[in-house]
Amino acid sequence: MKIPSHLAKFRRLDATLARLDPIEDQELWIWTAMNAGVNLLNAALHRCGATADTDSFHTQVEGVYAVPDRRDATMQDRMHAPGDVMHVGQPAIPGPLPEAILRGSEALRVIENLREIFVRGPRRARPGEVRSWRDAYDTCVRELSSQAGAPPLP
Amino acid sequence: MTNDEHTAKALGIERSLARCTTSDFETVIEACMLAGTHWFNIVLHRTGVAPVERDAMHAEFLSGADRRKAQVLLPTALAALDAIEAIRTPFVRGDLDGGERAAQRALDHLAELRRAAGETSGTPAA
Repeated sequence: MKIPSHLAKFRRLDATLARLDPIEDQELWIWTAMNAGVNLLNAALHRCGATADTDSFHTQVEGVYAVPDRRDATMQDRMHAPGDVMHVGQPAIPGPLPEAILRGSEALRVIENLREIFVRGPRRARPGEVRSWRDAYDTCVRELSSQAGAPPLP
Repeated sequence: MTNDEHTAKALGIERSLARCTTSDFETVIEACMLAGTHWFNIVLHRTGVAPVERDAMHAEFLSGADRRKAQVLLPTALAALDAIEAIRTPFVRGDLDGGERAAQRALDHLAELRRAAGETSGTPAA
């Protein structure tokens, strides 16, 4: 996807996230934070040239992209070089990458790793746990925004 | 995961949906996928297609055998979850026009999954 679309999605997801509570809404908070971060990561990777801002969308299967025909809003599956990543390391992007992208990716991975336990699994978060979630999201946004060409959030 | 645990997760995600509108279409679609998958797992476990020790994560990742059984035993639920998953690529991971309408369709499919699981308390918001 193109950088402006990634940034628009990041801004929308970040605004939604602000209305969610990481304890009461833990599943949707984690998922929305992850999706916001992935869009920033893709914008950052495209901007530094590590991946191409191809007009295609990642599918559920790593390496398979849906390529839109915008005249009739149809899509066709294709396999091509990245492109958007689905998650950190999916697919792996060869380095060297800017240090800020590496730091932002590590923070995003912290959020992605919450999925199995807290979204798909039955565990409820304890109040003390969510501070590290917020810290990871803040780090992810700060580091990746600096590389993605995203203006600072208010 | 047990059906009681799936029910608690699905209802919790649907409560969070109430904080969103269809203008938050990416989050609404994802919430429908997440809650819908919990409802779908209840149907999978209840019909014996998969035991409680083996939850489905995404409909397209069901084994070939489980998917064929699901097409026979729970076609409506499978079709509803497939439909939500199909909406994700163009409107969550992609930027095709019509995200808000897609979110409304996802909510409709979530309601089908909820009915298939036999849950009748309230209706999904957003």
